[in-house]
Amino acid sequence: MRIERQRTKMRNRFWECSAGAIAAAATAVVFWMSGAPPVKGQDAPPAPQATPQEGAPKGGGPGAAKGGRGGRGGGKAPAVPAGPVRRLPNGKPDIQGYWNAGGGGLFSIEATEARKQIGVNAGKGIVVDPADGKIPYQPWAREKEIDLSENHTIEESDAHCYTSGIPHMVEAQSSFQILQPEGPAEYVIMIWEYMHNYRIIPTDGRPHVLPSNVHLFAGDPKGHWEGDVLVVDDANQNARTWFDIAANFHSDQIHVVERFTPMDENRIAYEALIEDPKVYTQPWKVAFNINRNMTPNYRNMEFSCWEGEHDVTEKYTLESQGADTKNLPKK
Amino acid sequence: MQPSILFSGAVALALVASPVVSAQGKGKAYEPPRLSDGKPDLNGIWSGPAIINNDIQAAKVSGKSVIVDPPNGKIPYLAAAAAQQKKNNTDRNQLDGVNHCYMPGVPRLMYMPDPYMIVQTPGFVAILSQFMHEVRNIPVDGSKHLENIDLWQGDSKGSWDGDTFVVDTTDFNDKTWFDAAGNFHSDELHVVERFTRTGPATITYEATISDPKTFSKDWKISLPLSLNTAKDAQILENECNYKKEGPTVTEGSRPDAHREAKN
Repeated sequence: MRIERQRTKMRNRFWECSAGAIAAAATAVVFWMSGAPPVKGQDAPPAPQATPQEGAPKGGGPGAAKGGRGGRGGGKAPAVPAGPVRRLPNGKPDIQGYWNAGGGGLFSIEATEARKQIGVNAGKGIVVDPADGKIPYQPWAREKEIDLSENHTIEESDAHCYTSGIPHMVEAQSSFQILQPEGPAEYVIMIWEYMHNYRIIPTDGRPHVLPSNVHLFAGDPKGHWEGDVLVVDDANQNARTWFDIAANFHSDQIHVVERFTPMDENRIAYEALIEDPKVYTQPWKVAFNINRNMTPNYRNMEFSCWEGEHDVTEKYTLESQGADTKNLPKK
Repeated sequence: MQPSILFSGAVALALVASPVVSAQGKGKAYEPPRLSDGKPDLNGIWSGPAIINNDIQAAKVSGKSVIVDPPNGKIPYLAAAAAQQKKNNTDRNQLDGVNHCYMPGVPRLMYMPDPYMIVQTPGFVAILSQFMHEVRNIPVDGSKHLENIDLWQGDSKGSWDGDTFVVDTTDFNDKTWFDAAGNFHSDELHVVERFTRTGPATITYEATISDPKTFSKDWKISLPLSLNTAKDAQILENECNYKKEGPTVTEGSRPDAHREAKN
């Protein structure tokens, strides 16, 4: 617990001071990932209709191999026991608990060479379709992505502490918790420490009811179970979130269909099909594994990032004017 | 279920004004829907009376003070703290953390103008607010409070006292207020909340507030939480957008906390 406290204090200080506010743009990434470099590429993408497997997959998923708290810790990988998928009394998979996504898409979700000027290392990313790992941008959109990433990273909505978009929220670097409350209404609840993001996903098959001119940062998730697979249809996102720090973006016409496939009690195969005819030439897909956080007594802590953060803008402005921003006064 | 539970501790007097007692007076406690572990079902989208957020000392709900102890409905400030509250109130547009999109703290989050979903599982309860997508994590596992740490929302631990869900929260920082009128606390704040289902769409919410650095004695609020019973009710987003306007936030420039849904 001592380490947790220190870490949280560091984090609070980090966000509370002006200088710390640059975090979401770049520094936080280094901070967060210091113990665990981003996963370069992933295992083979899960089969879309994969049936739950019993028995331990060798080596677990990429995230499982990292071990430590929130996938950020160091040290040897703990052995991951992997029995059958747990069940709720109603027979549905019980996927409650704390989970880690690999964070492989944090810097850039698409395959990329190193882009040192924006702090992005070379990597395979998490795009599994098309096969080249590249987002099928329309030509104008690719130009815009390059311009955003090279000149406007300040606009990343995470840097201003807004709710993350989908699937960025799921691939974020921190652990998240799944709750499946009982009751007349059926939900899967996901709560992240990072940005205190959460998703409330009804799984009783109810339709989207929001009009198409309503746009939300995280969209409107509606879920249902296809056998053991949790399928989430996320509509009504706004155009203000990015998929990663490399400014891979979408419009407010984005439509995401996610599939959470429990592979065993400690591993979920995740994939998201992304459509946005205003920005891409064809639908494309990301995939990665989500692994149970095996740290005993793990819990989410408070992430005191406040929305509308302006200091990050101020700092960047000062730096562009050649000012030393290392010791900005606390507000 | 157990009427005596509602009178536990030395707080019976303070409950005179609360709806819980009215139910008691009729000799019938409301029988709540229950989950398979036998606990009352608190799941759902709830909200408190938002008028309390304006001024917790002035707010009346159903004609009654929200502060039920002391009986005069006033916060028992120490002298220096009373002066500080007046100062806070004068400069509230600048000093209220909510105006800067900071977390509102406890109990304020429970009566902000935005609804929240209570998610109840046997070992863990979460409260997910539409306001700035705030989260309250409440383990119900007998674990101890953290030490030597200050948090905006504090460190909450849940337990059941009969049919009442009790949340004990410590480890607060001194940056949050109880309302927009400068009513404040120090980092010694300790809040004990009690959630009791008292009707098909009602929770009676009570909070006992202790802070020896700020108050001469403990005080207590009681208010009803209302369930949104619409079948397709859902939490949307109320993202806060703090626009800096010069060195201070001036009157009339309250940050445009807006509903993205209306954009």
